[in-house]
Amino acid sequence: MMTRDLLALGPMLITAGGAVVLLLALAVCRSHAFASAWSVLVLAAALAAIPMTWPGAPASGDLLNLLAIDSWALAFWGIIFGSALVVCLLGFEYFRPLAVQAEEFYVLVLLSATGAAVLAAADHFATVFLGLELLSVSLFALAAYRRDQAISIEAGIKYLVLAGTSSALLLFGLALLYFHTASLRLSGLAGPLLAGHPDTIALYAGIALVLVAMGFKLGLAPMHVWTPDVYQGSPAPVSALVGSVSKAGAMAFMVRLAGVTLTGTPGVRNGVFYGLLVLAIASMFTGNLLALRQPNIKRLLAYSSIAHMGYCLLAVLPMAAGAALDRQAVFYYMLAHAVSILGAFGCVCAASENGREAQHVEDYRGLAWRRPVLAGVFSLMLLSLAGIPLTAGFLGKFYVLASGVRNALWLPAVCLVINSGIGLFYYLRVLGTLYQREEAESPDQFATSTAPSALLQPSPQLLLTHLTLAALVVLLIYFGLMPALASLPM
Amino acid sequence: MNIPAGHVMIVAAVLLATGLFGVIVRRNIVLVLMSLEIMLNAAALAFVAGGSARGADGQVMFLLILTLAAAEVSVGLALVLQLYRRFKTLDVSAAASMKG
Amino acid sequence: MALALAAEGPIWPLGVYFVLVVVLAAGILAFSYVLGQRHRQQATDVPYESGMTPTGGARLRFPVDFYLVAMFFVIFDLESVFLFVWAVAVRELGWAGYVEVLIFMAVLLAALAYLWRSGALDWRASGSKPAPDKERGQ
Repeated sequence: MMTRDLLALGPMLITAGGAVVLLLALAVCRSHAFASAWSVLVLAAALAAIPMTWPGAPASGDLLNLLAIDSWALAFWGIIFGSALVVCLLGFEYFRPLAVQAEEFYVLVLLSATGAAVLAAADHFATVFLGLELLSVSLFALAAYRRDQAISIEAGIKYLVLAGTSSALLLFGLALLYFHTASLRLSGLAGPLLAGHPDTIALYAGIALVLVAMGFKLGLAPMHVWTPDVYQGSPAPVSALVGSVSKAGAMAFMVRLAGVTLTGTPGVRNGVFYGLLVLAIASMFTGNLLALRQPNIKRLLAYSSIAHMGYCLLAVLPMAAGAALDRQAVFYYMLAHAVSILGAFGCVCAASENGREAQHVEDYRGLAWRRPVLAGVFSLMLLSLAGIPLTAGFLGKFYVLASGVRNALWLPAVCLVINSGIGLFYYLRVLGTLYQREEAESPDQFATSTAPSALLQPSPQLLLTHLTLAALVVLLIYFGLMPALASLPM
Repeated sequence: MNIPAGHVMIVAAVLLATGLFGVIVRRNIVLVLMSLEIMLNAAALAFVAGGSARGADGQVMFLLILTLAAAEVSVGLALVLQLYRRFKTLDVSAAASMKG
Repeated sequence: MALALAAEGPIWPLGVYFVLVVVLAAGILAFSYVLGQRHRQQATDVPYESGMTPTGGARLRFPVDFYLVAMFFVIFDLESVFLFVWAVAVRELGWAGYVEVLIFMAVLLAALAYLWRSGALDWRASGSKPAPDKERGQ
C-alpha cells in the first residue's frame, strides 16, 4: 500500500522535493542558470511521472482520504506542470538582465505548481485549503517579485488582500458545510446532501461562500476586480503563471465541487446551477466588454481570460449528468487556454527588453515589419484566444459549445456565441496594430512611448524564449488539428 | 455551562463580518492585514464549533489554519515593508496607480 | 448570571460596594486637590520624578531586521504545533509517523539553512544597510 501511495503521489512529491532541494542548493551557492535548469528538470520529471501513475491509484489507505488521484487530477497535473515548465523557460531570459535576485523565482514557481496540483486533486477540506494557500502565498510573492517597480509591489499587495479575503471566505464556507454535514470530505458531501438532510441556512451559506471564493480564484465576473491589476503589475512570466497554473488548479477543483453539489437536494442543485449560470454569463460580458477599448496588452489578456473562464463554466454547468464528455470539454478548454495564454505572455516577454515590458498595444505597432516571426506567433496565439479554426482555442470552444448544446443550455450557449463575436473585435484590433506599417519617424510617436522601434529590435539573447514559443506554436497547432487528448478517459 | 455550537457559529459569523468590514474600509495596510487575520480566525473558530460534537477533526483544521495564516501574514508583512520602502507610507491608497 | 446571583442572596450589597468605591476614589482625588500642597519644580512633570531622567522620545524607529526576526519566529514557532499533534498520537502513528515528522523537520531545517546562508539571520547587518549577498555568502 505504501509504495502504491508513493507512486500515486509521485509527480507532486517530485516538485515539492525539487523545491526544497533547490532552496538548499541556493543556500550553498547562487546560480541563476542552475536554478533555472534544475526547475525545468524537476518539472519535466514530474510530467514524465504522470503516465506512470495513469490512470490513477485506486482508493486505498489514509492518504487517499485527503487526495483523489484519479485520471481527472492527473490530466490537470499535466496542464499545471507543463505550464510551470514553460514559465520557468520564459523566466530565465526575462530575469537575466534584471538587477533583482532571480533564483527564488524558480522555488516559488515550483511551490505554486505543487499547490495547484494539490488543489486539483483535493478531496478533503484540509487539502483544499492547503493547496489553495500554497498556490496563493507563492503567487503574491511572485506578483511582487520585481521590487524595483512600484507597480509590481502594488500588484502583490492587491493580490494579497483579495486572495486572503477569498481564502477566509472559502474556509468559513467549508466550516459551515462541515457544521451541516459532519464530514470534512468533499465526496462525503454528496452522501448527506442526497440523504435528505433538511436544508439549513448553514448549507446554503456554506456553498455560496465556497462558490464566491472559487470565483475569486478563477476571476469570475463580480469577483474579477483583482485580475487586470495583477496581470498588469506582475512580471510577464508570473502573469502567464496566474493565467495557466492557478486557473487550471482552481477550475479542476471547481468541477469537483460542481459535480458534488449539482447532485444534491433540489434546493442546492438549483442554487448552484443558477449561481454558476449567472457567474458564467456575467464573466463573458464583463470580460469582453471591458477588453474592447483596453490599451494595455496585459490588461487586455486579463479581461480576455475573465471571459474565457466564463466560457469554460458552460461545460461545468451540466456536471450533474456526470457525462465524461463534459469533463473532457472542460479539460480540453483549460489545456487550450493554457497554451494560448502562455504563448501570448511569452510574446510579451520576447518583445520586452532590458527590464522594460512592452505593455502598451502601441508598442506592438508594426511589429510584423520588424520581427515578422514574433508577430506571426503572437497572431496565432491571439487567433487561438479568439477561437479561430485550426488552433487549439477553436477546438476547446467547440467542445464547450457542443457540451452546452447537448445539454440544452441554450441561454449560455447563445451568450457564448455572441461574446465570441465581441471578442473578435479586440483581438483583431491588436492583430491590425501588429501589421500596421509604422508611420515613418513621426515625432509624436517617440514622444508618447519611449521609442518602441528601438526597444523592439530582435535580440540574440532571447534564444530560449524563441524556442519555447516555437514549441508552444507546435502544441497549439497540434491540439488544434489532432484532438487526441480530448478523449482521455475521465 | 453548555453553549450550543450554533451560538458559537453566530459569534464566528460576526467576527467574519467584522474582519470583512475592516478589510474594506481600512486604509492602513497593517490594519488590513489584522482584519484578514480576524477573518481567518473566525473561520478557525467556526471549524472548532462545527467539530465540537464530532471528535478532533475540526480542531486539526484549526491548527492548519493557524499555521497557514501565519505564513500568509508573514509574506504580507514582507510586502508591507516593500510598500513602505517604496512609497514611504502605510496607506494602501498610495499604491493605486493601475486603473482601466 | 444576574439571575443566579439574585437567587442566592440580595443584590443590594453589590450596589453599596460600587457606590463606596466611587465615593472613595472621588474623595481621595478631591481631598488631595483641596488640602495638598502644590509645587512646580524642574522635575515635577517628568515621568519618574525622583528616578532616572528619561532620554529621547518613545517613538523610536527600530531597524527593519527586527520585523524580519519576528516573522521568522512566528513561522517557526507555529510550525512546532504540528509536533504536538504528532506527540499526542505517537504510539498510534508508529514508525511511519516518525519518518513523516522527520521529513517535516528536514523541510523546516532546509528553510532555516536557507535563511542563515542568505544572511537573514545576520545581526551585524542590523541598523546599517545590509551588504550585498554575494559578498556575504563567501
